[in-house]
Amino acid sequence: MGHTAAQQARSGGLTATEHQLDNGLRLVLSEDHLTPVAAVCLWYDVGSRYEIKGRTGLAHLFEHLMFEGSAQVKGNGHFELVQGAGGSLNGTTSFERTNYFEIMPAHQLELALWLEADRMGSLLAALDEESMENQRDVVKNERRQRYDNVPYGTAFERLTALAYPEGHPYHHIPIGSMADLDAATLDDARAFFRTNYAPNNAVLAVVGDIDPEQTRRWVEKYFGSIPPYAGKVPPRDGTLPDIIGTELREEIQGEVPARALMAAYRLPHDGTRESDAAEVALTVLGDGMSSRLYNRLVRRDRTAVSAGFGLLRLAGAPSLGWLDVKTSGDAEIPQIEAAVDEELARLGAAAPSAAEMERAQALLEREWLDRLGTVAGRADELCRYAVLFGDPQLAFTAVNRILDITAEEVRAVAAARLRPDNRAVLVYEPLPPAETAGEAGGQASAGESDEQDGAGR
Amino acid sequence: MTEAVVTMDLHPQPASGQAKPWAFPAPERGTLGNGLTVLRCHRPGQQVVAVEICLDTPLDAEPAGLDGIATIMVRALSQGTSSHTAEEFAAELERCGATLNAHADYPGARVSLEVPVSRLSRALTLLAGALDTPTFSGSEVERLVRNRLDGIRLELANPGQRAVKQLSQELFPASARMSRPRQGTEDTVRRIDAAGVRAFYAAHVGPATATAVVVGDLTGIDLDAVLADTLGGWTGDTTGPRPMPPVTADDTGRVVIVDRPGAVQTQLLIGRIGPDQHDQVWPALMLGTYCLGGTLTSRLDRVLREEKGYTYGVRAFEQVLRSPAPDAAGGVTGASLLAISGSVDTASTGPALGDLWTVLRTLAADGLTESERDLAVQNLVGVAPLEFETAASVADTLADQVELHLPDDYQAQLYARLAQTGTAEATAAVVAAFPVNRLVTILVGDAAEIEAAVQDLGLGEITVVTG
Repeated sequence: MGHTAAQQARSGGLTATEHQLDNGLRLVLSEDHLTPVAAVCLWYDVGSRYEIKGRTGLAHLFEHLMFEGSAQVKGNGHFELVQGAGGSLNGTTSFERTNYFEIMPAHQLELALWLEADRMGSLLAALDEESMENQRDVVKNERRQRYDNVPYGTAFERLTALAYPEGHPYHHIPIGSMADLDAATLDDARAFFRTNYAPNNAVLAVVGDIDPEQTRRWVEKYFGSIPPYAGKVPPRDGTLPDIIGTELREEIQGEVPARALMAAYRLPHDGTRESDAAEVALTVLGDGMSSRLYNRLVRRDRTAVSAGFGLLRLAGAPSLGWLDVKTSGDAEIPQIEAAVDEELARLGAAAPSAAEMERAQALLEREWLDRLGTVAGRADELCRYAVLFGDPQLAFTAVNRILDITAEEVRAVAAARLRPDNRAVLVYEPLPPAETAGEAGGQASAGESDEQDGAGR
Repeated sequence: MTEAVVTMDLHPQPASGQAKPWAFPAPERGTLGNGLTVLRCHRPGQQVVAVEICLDTPLDAEPAGLDGIATIMVRALSQGTSSHTAEEFAAELERCGATLNAHADYPGARVSLEVPVSRLSRALTLLAGALDTPTFSGSEVERLVRNRLDGIRLELANPGQRAVKQLSQELFPASARMSRPRQGTEDTVRRIDAAGVRAFYAAHVGPATATAVVVGDLTGIDLDAVLADTLGGWTGDTTGPRPMPPVTADDTGRVVIVDRPGAVQTQLLIGRIGPDQHDQVWPALMLGTYCLGGTLTSRLDRVLREEKGYTYGVRAFEQVLRSPAPDAAGGVTGASLLAISGSVDTASTGPALGDLWTVLRTLAADGLTESERDLAVQNLVGVAPLEFETAASVADTLADQVELHLPDDYQAQLYARLAQTGTAEATAAVVAAFPVNRLVTILVGDAAEIEAAVQDLGLGEITVVTG
């Protein structure tokens, strides 16, 4: 592994300690005194996969309500206090978890812990119809802004619905449907809180310029008296056969500026060696400016303006490999589809070269350097591995697992999974110029998260 | 409600601890033998090094009718050099775990490299090749032109980007480069070819007028030697003129609706122009604008989002367009765009604009409160250590300072100036920035649904356009 920069990633001296309160709250601490900031990250083990029919979007709507006050925090006080302390904050909801974070100047750490504890223990003291109605409208406008009013904006929702069958916990995306957002009641929100927002269903990570002993005392003081909840129902089973078995397909004529080919491939669950191999395969094929698909479609064939693959890692259901190609000029979908299939088959037939492996692994290693290079990124990854896999330390070794993947493993996963009979396909065809109607619909991001406040970005 | 909803021990809000010292880093400034200015900054622990190359190619230097050529030129730098084809170059760079981005803006163009420090030298060798010996092959330039034409089509379909294009066109006279998109229009981009790109490069790109900013954990790196072996070998002179026409704008209060039949939301972009960062008012303008629309608890979102639910969020901001040195020829000054942007559901367009104007009128009549100003200062000053945690964020700001002709300690001094700015100054600045009758309002939305309601608000003449 002489070609990697991993020595730094590994010898960066990153360590974390784990603790648990009597009420079940898990705490992960990681010290780093390079800059006087501290990140507080709280993952609740609840996401849209827990939602039931007729109540899609509830986990994310509820996340908004977490910013509307608690017993000792009035109205938007959570935002005001954090920002007034020189901190930044947000919350996001995905299929498998809901996270909340505050990044604070180090001397304001205690405030963030107090705020998180106050809402974990006393949100219902402040939750009322007025905030419910208001945030329902805000979230509906979030849905319009991020999905419905941008070209290709609902691609993620459509492909997810194709890739996971009706009734599957991942069939719908976290933003939910307008009808279900309208139907959610204050009682739904209260029940959701009681069931899921308990200390034994959460992991708290505090990372940065901290005194671990002092931090533990604060966490014990503020969170220690919050009672656990024993009645949480486990999520519905998300396992599916390895292969879909047939190509699922939806073609849309809509008000989009260019033809587009998008697809979701069913891939191994996160946490497996095969999922790391799949990530390297997708990087060889479709990440960066010299991937196979970029070189083929954008540079040589010149049929696409952009072409790439992304990975949506999921632990409780098959992950999704995310293809997004926007056509160039008058290029047509069949020629692009044929080229994509050829490239996928080629990777399945022969292992990538050493140079391609070096490129893919260097890019993935770089992503990990970036992710672990900030206190907030590190806190989020520690929470992720603690919540989804029971071991936060896995965050520090994730890059090693990627670098350990061999070219033959990449070929094998491509052969097994990146096949036409294992994908959901979405094709966009623009309407002829004169007509107007239908989906106005932006960016087809594989955005897995819906945020509390994305307006600043 | 009779149910016990608080089952925990409540504790009073804690006081803050003792703030630890933090300062925006001071770069070390030097010059290489080829005339390239270098700003370097050691940031312990930042293993991903950020390198910014500032090229003195303002968009005003683009030849008439070739808007977008600066963008194509900086992008083409990495599409083939004397040592590597375009594909090889990209692959070599990515084998370093590096990313390279290039863009051109009104003050100048930027090439941004980020790379793990262990491969800094390899990546800088590639970057030097891109700057010094770009091929600008006809085939690659043609590809970038087509790519840009495709990009324009995609961007115009996005309501936010469409609104920006319209506002520029409304504010600035047609003769001004600022009236047209930074990356050009379909008409101008079509005319760009390799010969034009080579000529633009030859006239405007060279080490003596460029600056390199290098930020990261440089422990154990002999940066002087690395730079001498890489960027130090970049040669070439520049002779092209760098015109600096004065900036004027028409901010007569009016409304332009870009018609999008069936749109479920209306994209708002409301703006005019203001001063640049050399103006003494800048810290007060930052504070006042933050109080108006910097965050979810600012005045606009407090009403439009948190009270009325009309929007996911509306923001007010100031964005510098150009900021020449105070002693620029002819005493030409710079400009910023002062704007409010966001989107609201179609049915709420009229009421939301009505409330937005009420917020502005109330602000003008009653001013900011002391506590609002205090919160804004605490946030804008307090977030600095967070904001500048990564090498890339520090490098970006240092490069901005270079492009905007600001001193190297501008950002460091800004925090003290913000802290010294009072409520009255912040009020005066934001009220002057957003006068209710001197704002150009762009609405991208369903004209048939929103025009009548907007008419009733009396925001000025309404024009409906398509496309």
